[in-house]
Amino acid sequence: MIERIAWLWPEIILFLATCVVMVLGVSPRLALRRQCAFVSGLALFLAAMVAIATGPMATSPWPQMVPFMKGTAGFVGLLTLLVLAGTVDREVDRDQELGRGFAALRANRAEFYAFFLFSMTGLMLCASADDLIWLFLALELTSLPTYVMVTISTRRSRSQEAGVKYFFLGALGAAIFLYGFSLLYMGTGSTDLGAISTQILAQAEGGAINDIAMAGLVLSLIGVSFKIAAVPMHFYTADVYQGAAASVSAMLAFVPKAAGFIAILLLVSTVGWQWGVADTAGVSLGAGHSLPEPVRLLLWVMAVFTMTVGNVLALLQRSIKRILAYSSIAHSGYMLVGVIAGPQGARFIDNGVAATLFYLLSYGLMNVGAFAVVASMEHKGEEADDLDALRGLCRTRPWLGWTMVICALSLLGFPFTLGFFAKVPLFTSGIAAGEYALVVILGINSAIAAFYYLRLAALPMLEEPVGEAPALTRVPARIVAGVLSAGAALGMVLVAGFFMERAARAAVPGLFDGTHASQSATDQIARSGERRADE
Amino acid sequence: MTDLASYAPLAIILLMAITFAVANVVLTLLIGPRRRGKIKGMTYESGMNPIGTARKRFNVRFYLIAMVFLVFDVEIIFLYPWAATFPNLDPSSPDALVWLFRILFFLLTTVVAYLYGFRKGVFRFD
Amino acid sequence: MHNLAGPLSQVASSADVGVPAQGPAWASLIVFLPLLACALCGVCAIVPAMRRTKLPAWITVALLGVSFVLTVLLYQDVSAGEHAKTVLVTSWEWFHLSWGDAPGQQFVASFGFYIDSLTVLWMLFVTGLATLIALYASEYMSHDVGLGYCRFFAAFSLFVFSMACLVMGDNLLLLYLGWEGVGLCSYLLIGYFYNEAGAVAAAKKAFIMNRIGDLGLALGIMLTFWHFGTIQYAELFPLVAPYVEALKAGDIGQIPLVVQAIPLLLMVGAFGKSAQLPLYVWLPDAMWGPTPVSALIHAATMVTAGVYLIARTYPLFAVSELALPIVAWVGTLTALLSATIAMAQFDIKRIMAYSTVSQLGYMFAGLGFLTSTGAAFHVFTHAFFKASLFLCCGAVMHGFAGQLDLRRLSGVSFMKGWGIVGIAMLIGCLNLAGFPLTAGFFSKDMILAEAFVTPGPGYALAGWILLVTAGLTAYYTFRVFFRVFVGPQHAEPGDEVHAHDGHDAHFHPHAPGWAINSVLAILAVASILAAGTYFIEKEQHGWVGKMVHGSTAAEIVVGEGEHAVRAAAFRHDLVGEHAIHGESHEPAGDHATPEEAGGSSIAHGSFLGMDPHAVMYYVSSLFGIAGILTAAYLHGPRGLFGLFIGSRTEAATSRADALVPALGPLVQWARHKWYVDELYDFLIVKPLWVLSHIFHLIDQLLIDGLVDLMGRLPSIGGRSIRPSQSGVLHGYAVGMASGLAFLLLLVWLLTL
Repeated sequence: MIERIAWLWPEIILFLATCVVMVLGVSPRLALRRQCAFVSGLALFLAAMVAIATGPMATSPWPQMVPFMKGTAGFVGLLTLLVLAGTVDREVDRDQELGRGFAALRANRAEFYAFFLFSMTGLMLCASADDLIWLFLALELTSLPTYVMVTISTRRSRSQEAGVKYFFLGALGAAIFLYGFSLLYMGTGSTDLGAISTQILAQAEGGAINDIAMAGLVLSLIGVSFKIAAVPMHFYTADVYQGAAASVSAMLAFVPKAAGFIAILLLVSTVGWQWGVADTAGVSLGAGHSLPEPVRLLLWVMAVFTMTVGNVLALLQRSIKRILAYSSIAHSGYMLVGVIAGPQGARFIDNGVAATLFYLLSYGLMNVGAFAVVASMEHKGEEADDLDALRGLCRTRPWLGWTMVICALSLLGFPFTLGFFAKVPLFTSGIAAGEYALVVILGINSAIAAFYYLRLAALPMLEEPVGEAPALTRVPARIVAGVLSAGAALGMVLVAGFFMERAARAAVPGLFDGTHASQSATDQIARSGERRADE
Repeated sequence: MTDLASYAPLAIILLMAITFAVANVVLTLLIGPRRRGKIKGMTYESGMNPIGTARKRFNVRFYLIAMVFLVFDVEIIFLYPWAATFPNLDPSSPDALVWLFRILFFLLTTVVAYLYGFRKGVFRFD
Repeated sequence: MHNLAGPLSQVASSADVGVPAQGPAWASLIVFLPLLACALCGVCAIVPAMRRTKLPAWITVALLGVSFVLTVLLYQDVSAGEHAKTVLVTSWEWFHLSWGDAPGQQFVASFGFYIDSLTVLWMLFVTGLATLIALYASEYMSHDVGLGYCRFFAAFSLFVFSMACLVMGDNLLLLYLGWEGVGLCSYLLIGYFYNEAGAVAAAKKAFIMNRIGDLGLALGIMLTFWHFGTIQYAELFPLVAPYVEALKAGDIGQIPLVVQAIPLLLMVGAFGKSAQLPLYVWLPDAMWGPTPVSALIHAATMVTAGVYLIARTYPLFAVSELALPIVAWVGTLTALLSATIAMAQFDIKRIMAYSTVSQLGYMFAGLGFLTSTGAAFHVFTHAFFKASLFLCCGAVMHGFAGQLDLRRLSGVSFMKGWGIVGIAMLIGCLNLAGFPLTAGFFSKDMILAEAFVTPGPGYALAGWILLVTAGLTAYYTFRVFFRVFVGPQHAEPGDEVHAHDGHDAHFHPHAPGWAINSVLAILAVASILAAGTYFIEKEQHGWVGKMVHGSTAAEIVVGEGEHAVRAAAFRHDLVGEHAIHGESHEPAGDHATPEEAGGSSIAHGSFLGMDPHAVMYYVSSLFGIAGILTAAYLHGPRGLFGLFIGSRTEAATSRADALVPALGPLVQWARHKWYVDELYDFLIVKPLWVLSHIFHLIDQLLIDGLVDLMGRLPSIGGRSIRPSQSGVLHGYAVGMASGLAFLLLLVWLLTL
């Protein structure tokens, strides 16, 4: 037990930083309080570096994914932090500058940064989870702070409404997957993922997977899909993203989503991609290269509905935040394709899990840019969230305008942007796994997405500005974040191969000691290699 | 599939419980007399006569104090089992050290919570 | 008595030597110097100090001049020794694709040059005339010094480069590159005055008309590669040789239809580029370009590319039964049609344009009559005299502010400073009219005589048509001369009068300067000297004949000595008989006249019972002089230059006007170019327009409708599920719960 500490140093660093920020943020001295963001950033950077240096975590079902996802979380988190800077406490700081003293009760800085770090800690804990209880706690540690962050992100009632909705619906989702976890425990007699996997495979060899275990898995997946905003757990997304400040929405679109996908990958790893497509109860274990049929069907239906609902609803919106919210639903649907395809084959482009991981990284980077643009524009003291605000932005605010253009094109998957190189592996891995119908639907959805993403790109680039240009935020870090994100959407293309290779490595399932599961997993990889060699 | 028959007594108990609860409520509605009055509609305040309206704003510090109380309350809940177990460990074993650091780490978090509360002005009444 | 047959057959047999030797590397400079000139003109356009001078012109003249000198050196290199030799010069490998080792499984097209006497002949007048005309243009274009000047000379040089690629390329692909290149330059230069709608329309017309022809050429090249597996001349002609042998043996059945189809396709390209029926209409409109361009591209060089193509691939044409008769008749009809149009026009440049079309018709007819020598000779002489005629018209246009109407100009030769123009014009007109002992006279005669000599489908009739056309040519040529260059002096300025001139009551024409005058003088002398080449190497039909016979364009000859006849597939029965006769060494008698040939079907045609070769000099002189006299009577001024029969006393009217009512609508029709443009408009443009509107409607209603529907579907879908996003918390919770239930039910029902 104690040896796991060795892999938890990133989380420990973040937690300690959280303690510091918590106290620092309520300091009566403004200069000290302003160090919160810096401390948070430093901690994130350190955590990411330590995570990468630590290397694979042997007890995890995805040993290599642990450093990859922690690193991704750290660096995307850093970018998000740049956007988050200056979200709260503007009035409090101004009052203090004007000599009216410091109202500690009104100040939210400590909570805001501490909760952000808590959430990031939760995300990293998710990545290193190897136990259902750990996973549950990590998921909740990721989510709970975000409920508060949504609420305190602005002083308007809309944010509070959003926070309340998010909290209650999140609790409902958590209840569902917690119930699923308990059924899984009931069906397999263990909370350890490795042990569950072993047990399930033993059951399958004995005839069929325990129905209760399967029901638990299905319920858990549906519940966790709240975190990734997949249908039918998607309802909160648009309202919450719109109600929260754009900076917080930027975080919401990545952090819980990443945690959710990690949880999904951990959960499905207990059954693995080694079942025949037609198998219902896994009678012929190891006959195919697909998830067990109930899980596959569930994820398939969820993926199709998620991308379609997300895209068609995004078409009708006028609020940029709502468009991005619905599109974030759609992106979850895309990534589910990779989960369904599974870690087939040695090559990156055949490996669905690698595609999902790489897509998460790319999506995190591109998405921050789009939200940063919204966060950087102000109209009458509020965020300029309407599509009209984008009109002619490339002329009036070139940095913001081009950031929006590049990020929107990249999110669309326009050739030669990062989004393109992220999306293509989803297609290829889907094809490699034989999921042709799913790939066709993915293609159609990408076409639908072009409607609104091209609008986001065309408005700043081709239209004439209407009225006066939107005012700029007083937080330059946000513009920097946007530009960095746009730069990454273009520049990462050059080094995409490196990250793809990392993602491919991260997508290799772990080997549990002496268990049947490990045997099957290695056999499966060996088999797929042979199959390829035969061809 | 698990043998469901073994759950039959449980189901019967459940059914009886639900029936009893629902029947009581329904019967009360059906046969109970209804008399409305000022005193009867009064807010129940442990036997005291309430003064003023119940829809009153409380100082937010009440909640904060409640939260701080919670912190120390939880601390005690965790400290007690720890204290009960710790003497049983062999002091020379590495486990003992780990157990010690665990509780110290936990205490650190409560200290941070206390510091936070202090800075936030929870303990000030003015 | 068929005095050319003997040496001709020797040359022809020695022409098909094995693999050509490597030529001198500097030969590629001939091609690349003009390209360098083009690039330098571009540099001039960038540097303001250079842009304001005439530097582009001097660069062009100098580099083209060097190119010409190199061509002369190349000529000496190639023609040294008894027989002209063929050499190859390869600059670099352009395409080399291979998909197997078997023959025909690789595609090679190097950027290399195939140099034989035909190449050199063409390059001599291309580079020579280009140099002279560039010199002329340096003065002519002087009002445009600046960016336009750079643009003009850059396109001009690029044209010479493209033309050199076309002529010197050692494969059909490089020829095609040059072919398209000259088309592009032609487009650029016709549209030089791009501010004028007419010029833009004319440029587009030329481009599109040429595309139709180019399609044929491209298909022809593809078919060539498909059948022969190569497009390199050096490999292609040995592969054609067996078919030529089959032709000589009279065994026409051995020649596959594919091979016969190739020339039919190539021909379409030639008709487009050389402005033959039905693709000729672009050339008269091409006169919107500056006159030097008209002279070089649209009279002397580019339009002869079609003749060059047919001459270069002459063996291919010879082995096709249909190709050469079609070429002959298309040429003949084009010659007649455009000559009649030229008679009724008033714009002197346009008259020259139609005369170019007409003369190109003669050249094609010559190719069809199996005298590639005659065709090449006519190309050669025509290049000089037509260039000089155009340049004279250009000088007039330049001097009289764009005035080109022959009713508004008179007696130009007698004005101060216009003497050289007048004399050059006279020489050019005599050449074009086929006046005895001029170059045009000899070259035209050669073609006319062969019309009667070569038995072919209706060739005698074609010969008569061409004779009449020769008379018409003489008439319209001298109509211009008598109206514009002699007679009472009169000049009305055109519409390009400069602002300061406009205030003057009197318009002062400005006489040409030294550049124009010297170029005109050189060209006039050259066109006289061109006649002299006819007498060099007389036994081979002149110097040009020698050049042609040493190349792939040489006529295919069967038999020897007195019995030799030129072979072509369309008279395979004749050739076959002859071959049998030749092999059996039967005394075939004298084939010159049908009477003496007796029962033998191998007979040369006759002209009214006389030997066409002998008689044609006199007959064509007769027609030519008759045409000139008619022009003199109808348009000549009173006095000597009206040859005593003229009576014109003013610029605008002449005796011809009285004839117009008598001829009824004919004149009107000819003046409107026989309504060919309108016919094309009605037959092609209008139906296309209607069709495009129908398609547009279909596109709008059906295709767009479908596309719109596809676009609307997601949005309709969005609208239908939008109510689910009500914003009500418990609504969402119910949604999540029911979604959960739905999924569980689905999984349960479908899998358990």
